[in-house]
Amino acid sequence: METKNQQGIVEVVSEKIWKFFSSVKLAVILLIILAIVSVIGTVIQQNQSPEEYLQEYTQGTVDLFETLGFFDLYHTWWFVLLLLLFTANLTVCTLERFPYAWKAMRAPLKPIEEDAVKALPFRKDVTLKTGVEQAESLVLAALGGKRYRTLVSKESGGTGIASQKGAFSRMGVYITHVSILLIFTGALIGAFFGYKGFLNIPEGEASAVVYLRNEPLWDKIMSGLGISKSPVSYVEGRVPALPLGFYVALQDFEVDYYVNQGRPTGMPSEYWSILSVYDQNRQKVLDKRIRVNDPLTHHGITFYQSSYGTIPNATGTVKLGIRPKTGGATETVEAKPGASVYVPSIDRTIRVTGVMPYGMRDPMSGRINFYQSRNDELINPVVDLEVFKGKSTQLLYRTQVMKIDSQEPNMPENYTIGYQDYWGVRYTGLQVTKDPGVWVVYLGFILLCVGPVIAFFGSHRKVWARIQEKNGQAVVLLAGSSNRNRIAFEREFARIAEDIAKK
Amino acid sequence: MESSLLFSIATVAYLLAMVMYISYVAFRKEGIGKAASFITYAGLLIQTAALVMRWVESYQMGIGRVPLSNLYESLVFFTWSTVLIYVVVEWKYKTRIFGAFVMPVAFLALAFINVAGISNDITPLVPALKSNWLFYHVLISFLGYAAFGVAFAISMIFLLIDMDERGPVRDLWYALVAIVVIAPIGYAMAAQGEHMKQAFWMGLGVVILAWFIYLVTRGAKNKPMVYLFWSFCVTLAISMLVAMGIDFLNMKGMPAGESFKKHLFEATFLNQSLPIALVSWAAVIGLFYAVWAKGIALKKVLTQYAPSQDILDDVTYRMIAIGWPLLTGGIITGAVWANSAWGTYWSWDPKETWSLITWFVYAIYLHARYVRGWKGTQMAVISAVGFLAVIFTYLGVNLVLSGLHSYGGMN
Ligand code: HEM
Repeated sequence: METKNQQGIVEVVSEKIWKFFSSVKLAVILLIILAIVSVIGTVIQQNQSPEEYLQEYTQGTVDLFETLGFFDLYHTWWFVLLLLLFTANLTVCTLERFPYAWKAMRAPLKPIEEDAVKALPFRKDVTLKTGVEQAESLVLAALGGKRYRTLVSKESGGTGIASQKGAFSRMGVYITHVSILLIFTGALIGAFFGYKGFLNIPEGEASAVVYLRNEPLWDKIMSGLGISKSPVSYVEGRVPALPLGFYVALQDFEVDYYVNQGRPTGMPSEYWSILSVYDQNRQKVLDKRIRVNDPLTHHGITFYQSSYGTIPNATGTVKLGIRPKTGGATETVEAKPGASVYVPSIDRTIRVTGVMPYGMRDPMSGRINFYQSRNDELINPVVDLEVFKGKSTQLLYRTQVMKIDSQEPNMPENYTIGYQDYWGVRYTGLQVTKDPGVWVVYLGFILLCVGPVIAFFGSHRKVWARIQEKNGQAVVLLAGSSNRNRIAFEREFARIAEDIAKK
Repeated sequence: MESSLLFSIATVAYLLAMVMYISYVAFRKEGIGKAASFITYAGLLIQTAALVMRWVESYQMGIGRVPLSNLYESLVFFTWSTVLIYVVVEWKYKTRIFGAFVMPVAFLALAFINVAGISNDITPLVPALKSNWLFYHVLISFLGYAAFGVAFAISMIFLLIDMDERGPVRDLWYALVAIVVIAPIGYAMAAQGEHMKQAFWMGLGVVILAWFIYLVTRGAKNKPMVYLFWSFCVTLAISMLVAMGIDFLNMKGMPAGESFKKHLFEATFLNQSLPIALVSWAAVIGLFYAVWAKGIALKKVLTQYAPSQDILDDVTYRMIAIGWPLLTGGIITGAVWANSAWGTYWSWDPKETWSLITWFVYAIYLHARYVRGWKGTQMAVISAVGFLAVIFTYLGVNLVLSGLHSYGGMN
């Protein structure tokens, strides 16, 4: 009581708080609460539209859940508060224990008193036929064989050898705990200075802005305080748009579909966009083909291939490849549906009369069947062509070419026309993110992979030996301790004793 | 497909091994134990060959991918790694007793694949799944699940041995009455439609969770309750499996396009016909009673030559010490992969969240040892609950909740 009185109220309270946060029991309770709360968030679907919720729940329930924040549970103030409490718990607990662990790890090897040996959990006496000198080298060899670092000291009663290994394993727990803090820190950096956005770009177009799903917290705070103006502007008064500082253009977009018995199924096997980046002066900086799992990063902003689609009612450009049957280079010609193009090399005019998004040739009859594709997705486009003599209107023949064909289309003249692309009708859907904190998170991930392994599979082991002479024979008193994995240490300890006795 | 044949042979081998291990426990004949081990090794080798062949077959089909990408393949891999880890434990601890508990876990998983009729076609991958991370992610996660499976089996032995007695018959009656009350409520709520069904499962989950917390905090003082918990877990595992099997058989006659998920338990507990539902619930009650009544007999057999509780506790800890870093690695590889595919390493989708919940439960296990007074019984209960969370992460999320992971396809 006396000491308490001498302390100020502030010290007493802060000590109480420190005690509260250093408790493992609190950690277990917080983990249980976090687990339960997380369950709620998986049972109630998150971030649906109000209509969708009303289909599932009654108005009263919706209102209640809304108030509690259950529809965006992981971003509510109380969930964040829970995480903060947990972080405080982890930090205080780690700070409280770390100095002891550090000391135990760094403590220099010391020869041990004879009395202290008796208190150690593992002991064994080995009598040798050799002299003391030789016994010493035997012990050192046995310990060295098990990778112990040793310290020899001559004492009055004989020789003392202290040895240890695995001291670093005491850090495993702290590496683990710090890794969690790093991951939280990285996530915070991301929330403050990063954003997530999206961008749909049609083929042949470019964008200088990205549309945000969430504004960087920092900008929000700074503009809210009136310190700096937010760079975000609002499209149609609703969608926040942020300037990229450069242009991203979509040169081309393509999809490959899984082919089943020569027929493309609607299931994409791969899709990709060829993106170009232009700087403010409209100079091209780079080109990159991005695919799912292979994004483009420029100035810390990453563009992920996320979706794609067909622009409703758009007319694009058909690209055809003209190739002499005798072989030789393919010449690309372009025409919009309904338009004609004169091709000098073959002296023919080609007219595109129509494009269908999904057709397949029946391999038996050779006829083309057309299928419905969702949102007019170009699964296997079929182009109807008319070919005219020279620049005249004298129709020579009609034909159809398509992306994947089960047989060569019949081309009556000495050249073939092949399908290359139907360009300008698709857009690519990009997920755009900036996350300066991700590297901190990744560092945390690496430590989180390493830390537990060190903690679980390492142990700080110490072995002491005292070599004394009795009746001309050397007697080795062995003692050992391990801070964990006792069963494994017991085995190793017995092996060391055996090694010494064997020789 | 040649690999299917090998998988079937492995399934039969595991069934045989399970029976032999159980007979070994019952009759204590060294010869039976040796034969059980031998059959297990053989089954493991055959299954390994089958996995490799399936891989090769996918290349022959021009799809070319690791055999770890759908529900069927992941379940097969789960059994494979469980048996592998078990073999290591058997070899290291020089005891065959765990076989009688681990092999049923492996066999039941394989049996589940067969009764639930999960398609074993080698299906092509959507672009998002075409990543090396998929391989690491699934591989590491499932090795972790397998370690937890072994830990679970050993915890169940621990809990059984831990009981001095069943406790008063009164407890059994309370439990039975609880089931009798729950059954019509569940039935009535399910009849109201899809989301009432969900609400029912949710409520049941809360009750079980409350029970779990009660058990853990009371621990050794309440051994009869722990025995009830033990009976409950065993009953739950068996009855869910059987019910899903019946569901599947029933689904065969359903119009195409109807999803298995939507009709979960409609052939049994939630059947439109009241008598069938009643019979199903009665069967569960009977099973529960049988497990409760006969479990203690099993205990008598086990105590004779199971390793000491300290060793059981140690092996459980060791399994979790292997499983938890693997689960951590699984979550991390998943996060890194998501970041390379979508630019978010964490999106709180139900599957992710449930893996985190599982991770929390085992983190509780690891720290509970440092809470004063928490010992063996509590630890075993946490370990058992952890594995229930694993199963939910793995199957329940797809069957009960919705999300974006790929193992969703039951049909
Ligand atoms: C999600 C967050 C956490 C993770 C991943 C984590 C991880 C770990 C791991 C792997 C161990 C080693 C366990 C063992 O050796 O069996 C450990 C030990 C420990 N943790 Fe945590 N921990 C977390 C949070 C906390 C918190 C909030 C506290 C605060 C009280 C805490 C206190 C401890 C203590 C006291 C130990 C024992 C240290 C020792 O062996 O000397 N942990 N933790």
